[in-house]
Amino acid sequence: MKIHYFLWLLLPFVIGCSSDDSAEYKNVPLDVVIPSNFPAIAYDLSHNPPTEKGFELGKKLFYDGRLSSDGIVSCGFCHLQEHAFTHHGHTVSHGVNNATGTRNAPPIQNMAYQTTFMWDGATNNLDLQALIPLTNTIEMNGNLTSIVNMMKGDAAYTKLFKQAFTNGEINTENMLKALSQFVVMMTSYNSKFDKFRRGETGGTLTADELAGYEIFNAKCATCHATDLMTDNSFRNNGLAVNPMVNDVGRYAVTSTEADYYKFKVPSLRNVEKSAPYMHDGRFGTLESVLNHYDSGITNSATLDPLLNSNGTLGIQLDADEKVKIIAFLKTLTDNQYLTDKRFSEF
Amino acid sequence: MAAILAVATFFASCSDDDSTVNNASGTGKIGIEFDNSYGDNNLILNTQGNTTSNNEVLKVSTIKYIVSNIVLTKEDGSTYTYPKSESYFIVDESNAATQILNLTNVPAGNYTKVKFGIGVDKEQFDMGASGQGNFLATAQAEDMLWSWSAGYKFLAFEGTFTSSSVNTATPFMVHTGQTGTDYNYTEVTLNMPTKALVRPTITPIVHIIADASKIIDGANKIKLSDNNANGMGAMIMSGQLLPLITANVTNMFRIDHVHND
Repeated sequence: MKIHYFLWLLLPFVIGCSSDDSAEYKNVPLDVVIPSNFPAIAYDLSHNPPTEKGFELGKKLFYDGRLSSDGIVSCGFCHLQEHAFTHHGHTVSHGVNNATGTRNAPPIQNMAYQTTFMWDGATNNLDLQALIPLTNTIEMNGNLTSIVNMMKGDAAYTKLFKQAFTNGEINTENMLKALSQFVVMMTSYNSKFDKFRRGETGGTLTADELAGYEIFNAKCATCHATDLMTDNSFRNNGLAVNPMVNDVGRYAVTSTEADYYKFKVPSLRNVEKSAPYMHDGRFGTLESVLNHYDSGITNSATLDPLLNSNGTLGIQLDADEKVKIIAFLKTLTDNQYLTDKRFSEF
Repeated sequence: MAAILAVATFFASCSDDDSTVNNASGTGKIGIEFDNSYGDNNLILNTQGNTTSNNEVLKVSTIKYIVSNIVLTKEDGSTYTYPKSESYFIVDESNAATQILNLTNVPAGNYTKVKFGIGVDKEQFDMGASGQGNFLATAQAEDMLWSWSAGYKFLAFEGTFTSSSVNTATPFMVHTGQTGTDYNYTEVTLNMPTKALVRPTITPIVHIIADASKIIDGANKIKLSDNNANGMGAMIMSGQLLPLITANVTNMFRIDHVHND
């Protein structure tokens, strides 16, 4: 009889501990795709394993303009899915108050496999990368304290943070982790080229594409290495310096003379869709890019040695080779990724 | 009886406030005070001219630094590491409230050394967002975040200077932090001149003097005039001078005295 009495007393405590069921931590892990033709993943998943709710929160953050000072410029503003998450049609991107930057928005794909981020490698940590555009005065100009307060006053965020993280706290740590969970899931690995490399159905290259791949391997793959198409290095690829901007590239990060005008070697995945090209978006077509390597190289103290063999600048390519390389580059287009609803704003 | 224990368990799991047991379990508080000086003098912001060994006259407008990873050593050699997630502070000369770091729940004992970092350690930084809580927002609010690069300013030392070659007051900004080549976090270990006696009833204050003159005028002498190439000011925020400045920063701290009140 006494026992019964105590059980009734317990009831309020049980209820008190487990509040609204829907706003509790929900650990539904997501599988991170690790394609067999990729190098090893670089992101440490053990620190921040993606979950269904963490991903959902990250996606909401990615497309939320309220993170910026004018309430409009979200991450997705400059990173449009159908253009491999680049800012199509913009040489350089514009941010809040119509400020324009000096760099072309890079694609977002396979970030979990990369070891440096931004054109100048300003960070080597994916979690912290988001801070750069988020706080840059000419991009989102975001104030982290205001962002945290905005999220704390928003019922949807309050619920998602509780569902996504064991401590449920709305703070910059969990915000950045959620963004990373979203981005880590963004793997582009089902282009025709990938299927070719994995011997899968749909992976038969045409004669031109195959010939282009061979030329690419001989003349481009030292820098655009592995199936990710980048060696993650910084190089001066002989672009004429724009005197209006004088973007010093990697030097801005290292202050090392040898790094003048060096930029990160970009991945070429979905390159057909990510025009314009180069760190400042100066080239509108792939033909222009190949013409640059063939005959447009400007020599300077930090020009990559691979582009200067015994005084001959550039990579010699005839018209036929250019056509074949471009045919090959188009096999890197991954339409499944470019239309994947999981990553879409709407 | 079993039912009573069960009730107690629920109470414990619902309430994580254990402040009621502190007194009984022998913990106390300790204050680590950072008192900025310029050489032998108190540091006066903005108005006081301070002359370096290179005969440059500095008027300091800002000095801020991140203090982190505090470890206290007891007289028996054992150490107490303050919980890492709570061990990041920003000391700001213009805000007195930031100049005493109030550490709580410190085990009672007689402490003889204090160790701390200036900046955010690489181990923490490499973990990305993990373990940083809301410190990124705090740092941005204090202007201790570098927006062009994802990282913290470990130390900010700013003001104006004049010299034999620079006649009008010209800005200088010294910011240390991670660069592409150097990490520039440093740790400092100081011996206490008298033991800090942490008790439930005694909260010692460890009074540290931080000599700001050492930042550019320590073992490594950095001439601001040499870093003013275009006349727009000496902006030292990256490159090869930062490791030299970091070495200077490592040696700018000393404990003047310990209060055991």
